[in-house]
Amino acid sequence: MPRLPLEGIRVVDVTVAWAGPSCSQLLAEWGAEVIRVEPVTRIQPMARYADRPSTREQQITLASQGYSGGGGYPDFEPGDQPWNRNASFNSNARNKLSMTADITTDEGRDIFYRLVEKSDVVVENNVPETIAKAKITYEDLRRVQPQIIMLRMPAFGLSGPYKEFRGLGTHIEGMIGHHYIRGYPDGTPDEAGEAFTGDAVGGVQGAFATMLALRHRRRTGEGQQIELAQAENFLPVLGEQILDWTMNGHDAGPQGNQHRSHAPHQAFPCLGEDQWIAIDVGTDAEFVALCGVLDAAELAADERFASAPSRWKNRTELDSLIGERTRNHDKFALFHELQGAGVAAGPLLDAEEKFHCPQLRERGFYEYLENSVVGGHWYPGLAWKTVQTENHLQRAPAMLGQDNEYVYKEVMGMSDDEYQQHVDSGMIADAYPPSVLGYTPPYTAPESGT
Amino acid sequence: MTVEALAGMRVLDFTTGVAGPYATKLLADHGASVLKVEPPNGDSARRQGPFAGDEPHVEGSARFLSLNTNKRSMTLNLDTEEARGIVRRLVPEQDVIVEDFEPGFLRERGLGYEDLETLRPGIILVSLTPWGQFGPYVEYKQSDLIAQAMSGPMLWTGNAEREPLKLAGAVSHYHAGAMTALAATIAHYRQELTDEGEHVDISIYETQASSRDRVQPHITNYSYNGSEPGRRRAGVSLATGVRPCADGYVNIAGGTSERIPRFLRMIGREDLLGDERLAALPAPLAAELVEDIETSYLEWLMQRTKRQVVEEAQRARVMAAAINTPEDLVSDPHYRARGVWETIDHPHTGPVEYPGRPFIFSETPRAPARRAPLLGEHTAEELTRLGYHDADLSRLRELSVI
Repeated sequence: MPRLPLEGIRVVDVTVAWAGPSCSQLLAEWGAEVIRVEPVTRIQPMARYADRPSTREQQITLASQGYSGGGGYPDFEPGDQPWNRNASFNSNARNKLSMTADITTDEGRDIFYRLVEKSDVVVENNVPETIAKAKITYEDLRRVQPQIIMLRMPAFGLSGPYKEFRGLGTHIEGMIGHHYIRGYPDGTPDEAGEAFTGDAVGGVQGAFATMLALRHRRRTGEGQQIELAQAENFLPVLGEQILDWTMNGHDAGPQGNQHRSHAPHQAFPCLGEDQWIAIDVGTDAEFVALCGVLDAAELAADERFASAPSRWKNRTELDSLIGERTRNHDKFALFHELQGAGVAAGPLLDAEEKFHCPQLRERGFYEYLENSVVGGHWYPGLAWKTVQTENHLQRAPAMLGQDNEYVYKEVMGMSDDEYQQHVDSGMIADAYPPSVLGYTPPYTAPESGT
Repeated sequence: MTVEALAGMRVLDFTTGVAGPYATKLLADHGASVLKVEPPNGDSARRQGPFAGDEPHVEGSARFLSLNTNKRSMTLNLDTEEARGIVRRLVPEQDVIVEDFEPGFLRERGLGYEDLETLRPGIILVSLTPWGQFGPYVEYKQSDLIAQAMSGPMLWTGNAEREPLKLAGAVSHYHAGAMTALAATIAHYRQELTDEGEHVDISIYETQASSRDRVQPHITNYSYNGSEPGRRRAGVSLATGVRPCADGYVNIAGGTSERIPRFLRMIGREDLLGDERLAALPAPLAAELVEDIETSYLEWLMQRTKRQVVEEAQRARVMAAAINTPEDLVSDPHYRARGVWETIDHPHTGPVEYPGRPFIFSETPRAPARRAPLLGEHTAEELTRLGYHDADLSRLRELSVI
């Protein structure tokens, strides 16, 4: 009897960037055997970033400028294998396996077909023409494995005028209208920065769709294709804004931090540099409690703020008056004091504060994983807990080609001779050759021309 | 005849607001039978705008209407023993129960996991709460704003010179709702294999700390080397980011060494293709070259609409998007051609276009959506099925049980 729900399910993973890898990660965390199929004879774009290494000095400079962006190395050190040390890639590669094969070659495609024969699910998120050229569409793969489930996650879908359009999360956010509504009400869209909520929701809903197809297959024996256009997948999340347009012809405009009826509902400055607390007040009682904690009886007595509708109408003035009264408070002390008084409040936490957050720590959210190239580190853990069947992260992030022997020989049943042939042809390896990398590890800064 | 992917899955839904209802909408939209149990005054989302015709009405909330398609509704006041008795009679018929009460609420009413498991061996109970079932903050209040502030990416979003921005549209609750639907289907998959039950403890707080919208990679990066991301505008580097055009804003990625030749051809500056100064990329280019390129780019943009910019850029294989308004989105020819919008009729609103399927199954396509239920629309039907008579229903109404 399986302990974890997805034990025995094998997933072939040819995803890049964010949404696809986070989808297969969720399946891996709940017991599926997820095998990344990666080329070593060329660099897969938007994956391990082997083509964009940086030196320790460059990493430190970028980090000091606030550009670390999740793509750094342990101790900033690229080491001999920077492609196995990238935080952004590794955060999605826990519990996964890695084998090497270049599916854009005939040899790699034959290997891929043999793996698909032994698998249940294929997940990909490439531009449709890439998949067609590699001859690994659903029509191709169902000939190899009639019960296969193939999840395709292109940006704009497999049909329609934008079928071959390319885009990352930031572009999809724009097209679906999320970038627009999340701007400052008094600002321009560039000020809103970049967000990737579409990737986050796409990964989760891709895994959800896969579960539905797995259930159907278990009941009927029938596989299928799931087409998840990332630029459509997010639309239900904007349901109320879209209905406000289709029902009422209203465009409520950029919303920033404002709520439809609550005020204050804003981030307010606290003691220190770039320190903030979020406060959300709905009722009169909460407002009186807020004024009590901030020692602001004059605001509680102010007619402009006497009721929820009048606070909302005068929210801009109210926000600036509250901000004057929060700026000398420590954000953590104020958080506990406001919550103690029954006001919804929370400090804006940076990565370090999230890492040490007592709520996450006490629930055992962070988990320790170790491998030979990255060393041992704590990772953000599972998104939910199961009380009856406890679950934890099992494997450190998959290193390039680390499971070649297992997948080629045990899963696909290849002989030692066949395996050796693919080693000799360059298909099987656990490092990119310098000719592919354009440098010889360990990576050092190129000579500057200036 | 096709069946929907979750046909035969039976769900009892005690959730209100956004996160729980989004989870059960995902289940109901794909064929699960979802019975929504509302308090007698209804799901709180029914009182949240925007409303049809801007008139507050229990059947007119856009939020409620879009989050509750394909469900049935009955009302029950769980503070009465008779209502709890009705729940106990409904439980044996269910596979999954989804609830978002404060921790302990159901247990105190004799409906904790062990009670439910006795009534229906192998039941899945999915408990969705702000902080989870335990932990030092469980008594604290949390909303979408607070979740985004503490465990979401809010500090890293917006203009560094201003207050940080939350992501508009209660997205932390939608994301948590999608996680909840996933957790429910994963547990249900095991349930069908083993007949074993499960209690799933979902914390909105943890779903945000696990979110791929920057939080998971940024925490991993911090764990690796102690560094923190900044808060930056979109559009700080050459030919990349948000720029104005004739009728709004666009977001283009044209400034990498790989893309810059295509980008320069696109804006009519082929003359710069051989310029030796471009070889410095990805390092910053000389200031006067940047100004030269950006000036031509702006002139090019100002002669084109958002839609023209995107089409020309994509044809030139430069990644590009429009900053679309709701009107742009709903009228966009791509979405129209793909049939994303679904018209749903409703006695209060009349026919309205909704966002339809989030993905397309080749073998288990979604059936056309049924509108969100009226408050308590199926109460009588459910109680009659359980053997109650008309006189009982009046009595239950008088006693505020339903």
